[in-house]
Amino acid sequence: MMRLFLLILVVVSLLHVSCSTKIVSNNIYQLHKETFDSIENIYEKLNAKKPFAIAFTDKKLNVALFELVSDSLTRIYEIDTHEQRLADTLAVYKYDTAGIAVLIRKMQAAKVTWINNYDYWVNEQPQQMIYLSIKPVTIRYPFSPPKYITLAYFRTPQSFDEKGRLLDNRRTKKIRKLNNQTFYKITDRICYTIAEKYR
Amino acid sequence: MTFKQKLAACLLRYKINSSYLKMNLSVVSIFRRLSLMIIWVLFFYPEYCFANFPTGSISTKQEAFDFLNTIDQNKESNLWPNIKPKLFYDNLKLNLENPMSFYPGRSTNFCSYGAVSYLVMQCDPLGYVRFMYQLYADGKANYNGNYFHPSAAVMKAAGSLRFKGVLDIRHAEQMWFLVLADKFKGYLNIINKKFNPGDENTFWASTNLAKYNRMVRKMCHYKSESVGSDLIKPGVKDLYSYLNKRMDSTTIVTLYINNRIIHKKTHDKVKFSIPTHYIILRELVKVNDLLAIRYWDYGGETLLQLYPDLFKKIVFGISIFRK
Repeated sequence: MMRLFLLILVVVSLLHVSCSTKIVSNNIYQLHKETFDSIENIYEKLNAKKPFAIAFTDKKLNVALFELVSDSLTRIYEIDTHEQRLADTLAVYKYDTAGIAVLIRKMQAAKVTWINNYDYWVNEQPQQMIYLSIKPVTIRYPFSPPKYITLAYFRTPQSFDEKGRLLDNRRTKKIRKLNNQTFYKITDRICYTIAEKYR
Repeated sequence: MTFKQKLAACLLRYKINSSYLKMNLSVVSIFRRLSLMIIWVLFFYPEYCFANFPTGSISTKQEAFDFLNTIDQNKESNLWPNIKPKLFYDNLKLNLENPMSFYPGRSTNFCSYGAVSYLVMQCDPLGYVRFMYQLYADGKANYNGNYFHPSAAVMKAAGSLRFKGVLDIRHAEQMWFLVLADKFKGYLNIINKKFNPGDENTFWASTNLAKYNRMVRKMCHYKSESVGSDLIKPGVKDLYSYLNKRMDSTTIVTLYINNRIIHKKTHDKVKFSIPTHYIILRELVKVNDLLAIRYWDYGGETLLQLYPDLFKKIVFGISIFRK
């Protein structure tokens, strides 16, 4: 009976390990550094003019969910990026239509599924960071969860521990979790995490 | 008909155990039992006894500002070590100036408490400010007959929540959301009842529909009507007509929705369909084939257009509160 139990335990453990989704390339940022940095750069400039966020909601990254943010109201539109309706909608709310079109094309080409700007406060001073999620090429088994790589671009250098984990600040050893995820160092301003959700 | 017979008929009508009728009824003993029953109901289910008295707005914004002006806003409280008085009182003033500014924070489970805040600010801004002041000064306070005495862990955590967006610097809101989550419990909180740092993102802070309705009834004493549940959608054929009939100046409508259909987080098609978010419905309009909904959540209003079928798919609970 004990042997059978142990056998079942070993089989279940092996199945669990073997069935977890594997990302084919782990150095995706290093391989496409210029592309991701340029997407972040374009978004930062466009977002400073008029805030917005983009998330692709389908697997082929054709349909995008736009969050158009104003002082009093956030408007949510889910539009196919090939439709004329997209440019019309952006024009109505006085967004940089051409700039956003370039950003969308770059995001689709680099498989960036989500881009957004987040505010946070350090010593009561507002800070900003940009989130960017990538849909990597994965080996996925039935029932295994999806995997996404999320990059966080900070404006100022951040603190990390000896394992490269993002910390709250220089003085503490407390790990800072963003979206309930631990982030790891790429540069002193950029870090990444691997998550089951893209946002 | 004698009084005894009348009483027996009355008891029969209310299906009280028929064995009473066979006994030699003593009026005194029955009254004693009824009184005990009333005391028992009052003690264990006060919300059923008091919830349905409709109340309007019982204080004004100006009264709340006048109260704030009478208190020393620089005095620190040792009970709340991470709360800074300036951020605390600035936050209370902001809540009064703009009640829609309540922001439950990014990646937290505070959305239901955000919706409760919206309702509280509609009925009693002075009560809210007075409660928050008393809680900050004494570590315990009463709001509308609800006694709050938060745990030491909650008191330590208030003011220290970080990377939650603008909630980082809103110390009064941090305190308010944490004490609400600490006080009100539902079946979702059974596995994690005691607060530990980081629990604002866990089941400790989550809210099922019955708990939400109970919170609003207890905090605001509004008359409530609710359909739907945590797993089964409301059996309403035409949601648009149902909601439009009930939305007027005397009602506040809360929807308990599956937000993950609108704000997708993965590209998987097979997903568990469960409600995840509370929103305050502000407007519902039909535009051709689409429904345009304007709702409040996370410190501001959102406008969303969606097909009626999708709207039906996301709504799990509807709670209508009458002032």
